[in-house]
Amino acid sequence: MSDAPQLRGLRGHAYAARSSYRQPARLLTREGGEDLWVDIQNDERAVLGSAYLSELQIDPPLGTAPRKVTFPDGAVFETSDHDAIEALTGKTRGSMLHHYEGFNARLIGVVAICLAAAWVLWRYGLDIMASVAIAFTPPAVIEQIDVGSMQTIDFTMAEPSKLSDEQKADVEKIYHRLVQSLPQDVQERHSFDLLFRDVPGMGPNAFALPGGTMVMTDAFVNEFPEPDVMAGVLGHEIGHVVEEHGLRRLYRSLSTYILIAFLAGDVGPILEDVVLEGNVLLSLSFSRRQETSADEFGLTLSDEAGFDPAGLKVFFEKLSEKYADQEPAQWTSTHPSSQERVKAIDAFIDGL
Amino acid sequence: MSESLPQGAKPFDFTGNAKEWFGIWIVNLLLSIVTIGIYSAWAKVRAKKYFYNHTYVEGRNFDYHATGKQILIGRLIVIAAVIVFQVVASVLPILGLLLLIGLLFVFPWLIVRSMIFNARMSSFSNVRFGFVGSVGQAFLTFIIYPILTALTLYTTFPILDRAMKRFSINNHKLGQAQFKMEVGLGPFYKAFLVAIVWIVVVGLLGAVLSGFSFTEFAMAMDNPNAPPSEVMKVVGLFYLLFFVAFLPAAFIYQALTRNAVYNNTTLEGGHQFASNVTAGRLLWLAVSNMVVVICTLFLMLPWAQVRMARYLAAHTGFIPGGSMDDFVTQQQEAGGALGDAYTDLEGIDVGLPI
Repeated sequence: MSDAPQLRGLRGHAYAARSSYRQPARLLTREGGEDLWVDIQNDERAVLGSAYLSELQIDPPLGTAPRKVTFPDGAVFETSDHDAIEALTGKTRGSMLHHYEGFNARLIGVVAICLAAAWVLWRYGLDIMASVAIAFTPPAVIEQIDVGSMQTIDFTMAEPSKLSDEQKADVEKIYHRLVQSLPQDVQERHSFDLLFRDVPGMGPNAFALPGGTMVMTDAFVNEFPEPDVMAGVLGHEIGHVVEEHGLRRLYRSLSTYILIAFLAGDVGPILEDVVLEGNVLLSLSFSRRQETSADEFGLTLSDEAGFDPAGLKVFFEKLSEKYADQEPAQWTSTHPSSQERVKAIDAFIDGL
Repeated sequence: MSESLPQGAKPFDFTGNAKEWFGIWIVNLLLSIVTIGIYSAWAKVRAKKYFYNHTYVEGRNFDYHATGKQILIGRLIVIAAVIVFQVVASVLPILGLLLLIGLLFVFPWLIVRSMIFNARMSSFSNVRFGFVGSVGQAFLTFIIYPILTALTLYTTFPILDRAMKRFSINNHKLGQAQFKMEVGLGPFYKAFLVAIVWIVVVGLLGAVLSGFSFTEFAMAMDNPNAPPSEVMKVVGLFYLLFFVAFLPAAFIYQALTRNAVYNNTTLEGGHQFASNVTAGRLLWLAVSNMVVVICTLFLMLPWAQVRMARYLAAHTGFIPGGSMDDFVTQQQEAGGALGDAYTDLEGIDVGLPI
């Protein structure tokens, strides 16, 4: 330490503990027994901080950002001499990460893996996440979802059914024949209750809740009393229940939301809205796939139960006659268009 | 529109570059996917640290000190809470409703805790930030004021907006030095009116140019048998209106209020701030960023982020009123009842527009 004018050591700046006071300084090391002894010295050669190397907290490298060395008493040394700090710390986990983050040809591989992973995640990951979530949802909870939803529906839009007992009995007979045709274990897994309601705003319709509760509107029974049509539509709804479409959709949209928030991070103004809306369009296509799948399930089921599977077709044909002008473009809709479904049904029946 | 920063103002400097940030970002993404999202907590810290470290004022930079573990725990708590809420809400809708009302009171507390966490985890020139806002103030600002604003049909929106910004800024400290925003309602209402004038003028101009008539429009909306092409035309018109009228209006408001806020904010010790962003530039950046990011399957997102950060930094100024060496970190009060036990909860990040 006798060669005074020679400025050796690692150049940078020092901060006093918990203070913004900043001065040019350098980091000096010397042997201190088992460990290396490290000093911060300012240009007047005053020692601003000192400690064993092992006591120092050295922030991992991050791009070209200055490196920070924090001493036990809070004094901080900051430098842009990345090589010197690396020589001091040797190879660490942080420096490995830093190495792989470097902008070079290797990143093309990382990009390719990321794109592939993003695609796999969207194509399969969401389904897996939804399946896992469904497996972990206790049946009691699902049943309760039905009870809760029925309370809401009865409170907000539905009125008690005005159908006669014979009408109800006819529908129930068809419904039971269909349920009996399901495999035993599937029959036991869901409740398969059939409820009748008068829902003025809904027209001829039937819908299923996740737990297996089936709701049919009075308008449907009045307009489509034919057993084959009834069987086709009920079979379709049973398909939604057995394949757990309602829950799956709930969990899928939740998973998508979580993935985007956690992986893409902050996407900035405007784009944020675009991402979320794009997501809605994608989930619409998923919902259309579910409808097609439920159609096929219903056709097979009503065929097995001894009904004419063409019944479902009659329903859609009538529907498309009545609402010919009102169907929105397919990509804005949760259901495929009626014409499309009739075509698909024809093709499926041919294959039965 | 493009006035320069006032005399004596030193612009903020963002020194990050897209190439370097891309490498960090894509590795973050890969590790997050491989670890099924767990690494994203560490990724967030790395991202935040990168942008803080590369933002300089007077040759000194910012830093972010939270650890991935803190963020992860905060997120797990939020996920658990959301799941519990979902289950309760679907099993017992009535109880869910009660919980929702309860959330109304928990929300202000969460805001304050997360602002304290974020402030303490951020530093400038080796001095930590601090936040001293109270839960009561937060309740007033984020629950009561918005309700009152809705009751006045949003004509008092500038008052609400100023209250939120005042809550955020006036309760922040750098070390022991207090931030103070002193700006009247005038600039906020001016920005609001300019934005509305833009919407009205563009809307009228559009109506005249396209020969759009309200009666036709009302007819098309009322008639369920309208041909689909008519309906599509209406939908298209809405999108056009959104892009040429509402979006620029939002950016006009944002740019004018940002400038007003920065130009009237001081930091104890005689320091002042300045800002001269323009709505046109902000809008251009946001729209072109969006187009580029989508066309490149998100791969240019890091570039877009750097571009935005650079613009904002270059148009934000700091007017030092004295030495930058005099800030001192506030001595942390000894952990009270709500101290250490809840520190991990502080990793929850409530996104707030500041």
